[in-house]
Amino acid sequence: MINLVQNVVDGISVGSLYALTALGIGLIFGVMRLINVAHGELITAMGYTMLLFASQSVVVAMIGGMIAVVLLALVTERVAFRPLRSADPATLLVASFAVSFFLQKSIALVIGYRPKGINILPSLGQQVVVFGVRLQLLKMATIAVVAVMLILLTWFLKRTRFGLEMRAAAENFRMAQLLGIRGNRVIAMAFALSAILAAAVAVLFISQSGFLTPRMGLQLVVIAFVGTVIGGLGSLVGAAAGGFFVGATTVFLQAVLPPDLRQLREAFVYLVVILVLLLRPQGLFPASGLKERV
Amino acid sequence: MTAQSSGNATATMGNPTPLLAVSDLQIKYGSITALRGLSIHVGGGEIVAVVGPNGAGKSSLLCAIAGVVPSAKGAITFLGKPLIGLSPEDILRRGIAMVPEGRHIFGSMTVDENLRLGATVRTDRGAIAKDIEELLETFPILRERRKQPAGRLSGGEQQQLAIARALLCKPRLLMLDEPSLGLAPIVIDQVYQILTMLRQRGMTILLIEQNATRALNTADRTYVLSAGSLRLSGTKTELLNNRDFDAAYFGVAEAETRVLP
Amino acid sequence: MNRVLRALWPVLSLMLLVAAIAVAASGGSEIVQRQVTYGLIELIAVVALYIFVGNSGLLSFGNVSFMAIGAYVSALLTMRPASKGMLLPGLPELISSAQWPVIPAAIAGGLVASAFAFLAGIPLMRLSGIAASIATFAVLEIVYIGAGNWTDVTGGQNSLIGLPIYSDIWVCLIWSLITIATAFIYQETRSGLLLRASREDIVAARAAGVNVHRHRLVSFVISAFFSGIAGVLLGHFLGTVRIETFYLDLTFAILAMLVVGGMGSLAGAVIGAIVIAVLTEALRRVEAGVDFGIFAVGALPGLGDAVLALAMLLIILFRPKGLSQGREITWPFRAERPSSSKNPSESLADGSRMAPRPMISKPES
Repeated sequence: MINLVQNVVDGISVGSLYALTALGIGLIFGVMRLINVAHGELITAMGYTMLLFASQSVVVAMIGGMIAVVLLALVTERVAFRPLRSADPATLLVASFAVSFFLQKSIALVIGYRPKGINILPSLGQQVVVFGVRLQLLKMATIAVVAVMLILLTWFLKRTRFGLEMRAAAENFRMAQLLGIRGNRVIAMAFALSAILAAAVAVLFISQSGFLTPRMGLQLVVIAFVGTVIGGLGSLVGAAAGGFFVGATTVFLQAVLPPDLRQLREAFVYLVVILVLLLRPQGLFPASGLKERV
Repeated sequence: MTAQSSGNATATMGNPTPLLAVSDLQIKYGSITALRGLSIHVGGGEIVAVVGPNGAGKSSLLCAIAGVVPSAKGAITFLGKPLIGLSPEDILRRGIAMVPEGRHIFGSMTVDENLRLGATVRTDRGAIAKDIEELLETFPILRERRKQPAGRLSGGEQQQLAIARALLCKPRLLMLDEPSLGLAPIVIDQVYQILTMLRQRGMTILLIEQNATRALNTADRTYVLSAGSLRLSGTKTELLNNRDFDAAYFGVAEAETRVLP
Repeated sequence: MNRVLRALWPVLSLMLLVAAIAVAASGGSEIVQRQVTYGLIELIAVVALYIFVGNSGLLSFGNVSFMAIGAYVSALLTMRPASKGMLLPGLPELISSAQWPVIPAAIAGGLVASAFAFLAGIPLMRLSGIAASIATFAVLEIVYIGAGNWTDVTGGQNSLIGLPIYSDIWVCLIWSLITIATAFIYQETRSGLLLRASREDIVAARAAGVNVHRHRLVSFVISAFFSGIAGVLLGHFLGTVRIETFYLDLTFAILAMLVVGGMGSLAGAVIGAIVIAVLTEALRRVEAGVDFGIFAVGALPGLGDAVLALAMLLIILFRPKGLSQGREITWPFRAERPSSSKNPSESLADGSRMAPRPMISKPES
C-alpha cells in the first residue's frame, strides 16, 4: 500500500515535469506551427548555467540562468526561426533539429560529454512522512511548482492583454496581424515564456537527477514531444495532458511490468503515439478552435 | 506625393483628393500576373465596390492595400502617404481595417474577447468600453452572445462580429472582401443595410464582391475588374446603361459579342 | 546516341564522379582509403534516404533503423556459430548454426529491412506531412529500444563482434553505383513519377486516381533495402555492430547531408554526401589540433559536429533547396535539333489567370 502511494506520487511528479516541458513546446507550436526541438537545449543550457553560478546562492543562480536562457531563446528565434516564418512545416522541423544539434554540440564542444555532478537545493532531498508514508520532499515540490506555474500561465493567457494577443496569434496569425497585433512581438514573447518554463523544468530535473549531460534536454524533450502529439499539438491543454500522460505512464509501467520488460516501457509510449497518429491525429484533447492539425 | 486619379474617374463627393488612391498597381504571384496596372481611387464617405468574376484580381487588390501581399509595381497612397512596404500591423494603424473573406473571427474565443482584440491598437481604455457598448447597440445579436465562443455564431452573426471588430479600430477606411459569401440572401440584406448605415455615419468603404448586383445597388461607384485589368467604372446608372457591362464582367472581348447572335 | 547520353547523363555523371573519387583514393594511404570507404557507406545511406524523401516529399527519421536491421541481420548470419551459441541464446537454431557467405547475408540484410519497412509502412504511409515524419521517428525509437533490450538475440547494449570485415573501397564503390543507378531508374519509373506528382499536390493526385499510399510504400521499401545495405556495409567495415551507432547522431548526419545537397534531386543526395564528408574530414583534422606554424589550434573534439549543424542551418536559411537547388546534372552541350517545345507562358490559357491564394489560407480537409 505504501509502495502504491509512493508510486502514485512519483508518477504525478514525473508526469508534471513532462507536462511542463510539453507546454514549452506547445506554446511555440501554437504561435508558429514550429516543433521546437531546440527547446531541449534551453533546458540543458539552464542546467549548465546554474553550474557556472554554483558558487552563488541558489536564487542568484536561478535568476542568472533564467536570464541566460531567455536570451538564448530570443536569439534563436531572431536568427534561425524568424527568417523561416513562412516556410513549410518540413523545413521548419529540419531547421529546429539543426538548431538543436548545433547548440547541443556547441555545449559538448566546450564542456564535453561526460556527466557533471551538480547539487542544488540539497535541502529538498530529504524525506517527509505524510500520513505514514515516506515521501521525497523533492517530488512534492515538483508537483507544487508545476501546479503553480500552470496556474500562472493560465492566468497570463486568459486574463492579460498579452495572453489574449498570443491566443489570437496562435489561432490565426494573419488575422491577428490584420487587427494590429505585432506578430514579431507575440512570437518573441512566446519564446521567452517557453524559456522560463524550460528553466523551471531544468531546475526541477537536475535537483532530482543530480548530474548534467549535454543530451539531457533533448532526452526530456523527445518524450515530452511525443506526449504533445498524443495529447494534441494544437492546444496547450492537450500538450500538458499528453506530457503528463506520458510521464505518468512510464512510471506506471516501471512499477507494473516484469523486470525484463521494464526497459521497453518507452517503446510502449512510441507505439501509442503511432496509434494516435493513425487513429486520432488531432490528439486526445484537441483544441476547440483548431483548424490546422499535424 | 500627389494621388493620381484613374482615367475613368467620375467626380467624387466634393473631395478632390481621394482618401485612397491606387495607381498602376501590378501584382504577381511567381510568374502569374494577378493584377496588371490597375488604378482606382476611393473618396471620403463613399462606398466603392470592385466586382468581377473569380480570378479577376479583386482579392489581390485588397491584399495589397492591406499589406499582406507585395506588389510588383505601382503605388498605393492613403491620406496622401504611401502604403507599399508597410506591414499589415502598420497599415491598420494608419487607419485601414479589413474584414477578410471568410470573416476569420477567432472561434475559440468569446465574442467579447474578439471585440477587445479589435481595439488592440487603441490605448484609450475608457473610450474603448464606450465604443463596445455602442457597437453592441448597433449589433444587438452580439450583445446576446457576448460571452459565448464566437465559433458558435451563425454565418451572418460572424459577419456582424467581424465588421464590429474592424470598426473598433476606428478606421478611416473599411475594406470588406466578399461580405456576402456563404450567407443567405436575407442575411446579405442585413449586412448591406449595415454598410449603408455606416456610410451615413461617415465611414468610407471599399468592398469587393462576386455578386455584382448587390454591390452595384449599394455602392456609389463601382469598378469592374476582369482578368487583372479594369474594364469599366462608374455609378450604378452609368454601368447599367452600358451595353458592355455584362461582357466586361465576364471578360469577353468586345468583338466577340458582336459576332455572336 | 546523343539522346541516350543526354537522358542518362544525370546518373552517369554522378556514377563517374563517385567512381573517380574511389579510384583516386585507392592509390592513397590506408587512412585515406578508410575515410573514403566510410564516405561511400554514408553516400549509400543518403541516396537510400533520398529515394524515399526526394520522391515522396516526406521526411523520414526512421531510415537509420533500417540500417540497424540490415547490420544486425548480416552480422547474425555471418558470425561464427560458436560465438552465437554462446552469446545469443535467444537465436533460433537455424540462424545460430548458420554461417553464410557475405553477399547473400548482405542481400538478406537488405531484404529483411525492406520487409520491416513494408510492414511498418502499411499503416504509416497513410499519414501525411509531419505526422508521417513523427511516426518514422517513433519507429527509430522503437527499433533502438527494442534492439537495445533484446539481449538474447541482438546482444542488447553489447556489441556483436567478430564480423568479417569485407567492406573495402571497391565493395562499397560497387554498392554505391548500384544504389545510385537504382535511385535513378526508380525515379523514372511510372510509380516514381506518380509519387513525385503527388509530392506537389496530394489532393490533385488523389483526385486523378493516383494510389498515393501504394507508391509511397514502394518508395519506402526500396529506400529501406538500400538503407539496410548501408547498415550491412557499415557493420562489416567496423567489424562490430552496436545499436548505439544507429541512433540520433547518425540520423542527423545523414539528414544533414541530404539537406545540404538538396532533398529534391539525386544529384543533391550525392553532392551533399561528398561535400559533407569532405567537410567533416577537414574538420576532424582541426579537431585533433592543427599547427599553422605561427600558432596552433588545440584539440577541439566535437567541432566537426557543431560545424555540420551550422552548415545545415545556413543552407536552410539561405539556400533552402540545397546546393543542387533540386536539379539534376544535365548534359552541358546543346541538342542537335532545336527544341520544339516553348516555355509555357505565364498564363494558363489565353486570358485565364490563376486565382490568387486567399489572404488567410483556408485549411485543407
